[in-house]
Amino acid sequence: MIKIDSVTKTFSDKKVIQSLSLEVKKNEILTLLGPNGCGKTTLLNMLSGLTRPDEGNIYIDDILVSGTEGTKKVYLNPSERKVGYVFQTVSLFPHMRVQDNVAYGLKSFHLRKFRLHRREVKDRTMELLDLVGLREYARFYPNQLSGGQKQRVALARSLATEPQVLFLDEPVSAVDPQLRESFRLELKNYLQKLKITVVYVTHNLSEAFIMSDRIAVMGDGSIQQIGTGAELFDKPSSGYVAKFLGVNSFKGKAVKISGAFMQIEANGTSISAPSNHNLLGKNVVATIKPENITLSKAVDLSVDGAANSVEGVVTEMVQMRSNAQVTVDVGFVLKTRIPLSTVKSLGISVGDKVYACFSACSLNVFTDDDN
Amino acid sequence: MKRTIASSFANKIILVILAFIVLTYFFLVALPLAAVFLRIQPNQIIEQLQNSQIITAIKLSLYTSAIATFLAFVLAVPTGYFMATRRFPGKAIIDTIIDLPIVLPPAVAGVALLFAFAPRGLLGPTLNFLGLTIPGYPVAVVIAETFVASPFLLRSAKTGFESMDQDVINSAKILSGSRLRVFFTVSLPLTFRAILSGTMMTWARAMGEFGATLMFAGNLPGITQTMPLAIYTLLYSDPLAGVMLSIILIVISFSILIIIKLLEQKRFGRKK
Repeated sequence: MIKIDSVTKTFSDKKVIQSLSLEVKKNEILTLLGPNGCGKTTLLNMLSGLTRPDEGNIYIDDILVSGTEGTKKVYLNPSERKVGYVFQTVSLFPHMRVQDNVAYGLKSFHLRKFRLHRREVKDRTMELLDLVGLREYARFYPNQLSGGQKQRVALARSLATEPQVLFLDEPVSAVDPQLRESFRLELKNYLQKLKITVVYVTHNLSEAFIMSDRIAVMGDGSIQQIGTGAELFDKPSSGYVAKFLGVNSFKGKAVKISGAFMQIEANGTSISAPSNHNLLGKNVVATIKPENITLSKAVDLSVDGAANSVEGVVTEMVQMRSNAQVTVDVGFVLKTRIPLSTVKSLGISVGDKVYACFSACSLNVFTDDDN
Repeated sequence: MKRTIASSFANKIILVILAFIVLTYFFLVALPLAAVFLRIQPNQIIEQLQNSQIITAIKLSLYTSAIATFLAFVLAVPTGYFMATRRFPGKAIIDTIIDLPIVLPPAVAGVALLFAFAPRGLLGPTLNFLGLTIPGYPVAVVIAETFVASPFLLRSAKTGFESMDQDVINSAKILSGSRLRVFFTVSLPLTFRAILSGTMMTWARAMGEFGATLMFAGNLPGITQTMPLAIYTLLYSDPLAGVMLSIILIVISFSILIIIKLLEQKRFGRKK
């Protein structure tokens, strides 16, 4: 549906997007996830035509909307790309009633070729307001609505022109913090009902997981990894992605293979991992999810497969609602997430000696490209 | 304990001094204005409103300032939009030069206009060739007023366009292919208040223009003698007429300030 081919953008000497390529499938919800300033919004603006790329081609529905075709330069204006855009800030027209906001795009259809009848504009406006459950607010002005209502109007407005692709740039950040959770689910419902291709931008991990079919992790102006939420968590492809997702990662060297297992030396600690002959003798990065690690006071080899049970010291404990995040230094840092009841029964506190236990199979190992 | 008493005493002293300063300042401004009103009796007001010299000056002031404000609008609003939304080399220089009349002494403005448009000025030969003479005619009043007053509108229009929420404008651009439609239905309404208050400031400044008009247009009753010039001329020969014109100008200025203050408060739709 969308194809981005080696797109580059520089703002006053700073490379914001570096030769980025990406494909978005029809009717999927793809999230661009990354820290602030990694180029997510710039990418969205280039897709929608608000920002002109320096290089590269962008196709929407197999039509070149920006770039070069042969020797001919092509650049379609935002309104010609059949896209909808919901912005991070509330971007409703403050001087228009809700119904006029929603009808704005329809009326420009009217001005062009379609010549929608007044009645039709009115009917479709009301249909869209029904979709977002705001029919009775049609005659209100934007500043009479709550943050969530405003963003729902913005969604309805962006859908009026029947876009093929919808761009949402952190739409939840305009909503009051305590209502964000429910707004996310609401938004997810609308998007699933619509059956439309969506590119969603956020820096919030859990939001990305709730909203999307696939997630593209961005960093330094390029796509670091793309996949479903589960894929990313299980097999982060770089230390950067692991770190951003809150997955443990550590560097080491694959020193020995015996049977189904491979031994990794990491800062003086020996770890068992699934064997992989391609990695033998190389510097590697291993990742493991916090929830795959358990803690015990003594060596515990009862975990399935080749068990790792490494000694370390608790360096930090953060209590959450139902579990605690316990950080253990075993020569490298491991974050674990264990139930509060376990913390209590083990009776551990900062400075205590503990064993971090995890199966070899829960490790994801790949070559360290940094060296 | 002692310390808190001492410090609360110090706070009170500071408050009294501040109040004194504010009152002094207020009277410095209000007293001269009040003095003008005390110079005339209510029955004299009716009388003066029939004074032909006053009526002539008011008429001239009204129509020259109206044309000057219109010219300022046509020139300054598009310029303000351009300056706010475009980047180009030399922008800072152009920006500063067209803002200059705000701080330029009006006498200097008058001299500058003479050197540009008078028969022996820079454009004099061209104007002569076209058979046009500017100084000494109402058109000179209009030029002087536009020159001095238009930067007020330019400034507020530019600030208005600069402070438009870019996401709002971008939303409109995505929904509508016509730039003109986006400008008239979104950009302009969003800056409406800034432009309106700038227009009123410009009009007030044009009505009050004295120095540049005197030097460039002259002081000819019925032709270039605007209200401020008439005040200056009549204050000795017909003091009551001068007072009456002053009162009218004070009332106009006061009303404009009130309207601008009201404009700043207006919102779209009542808050829940």
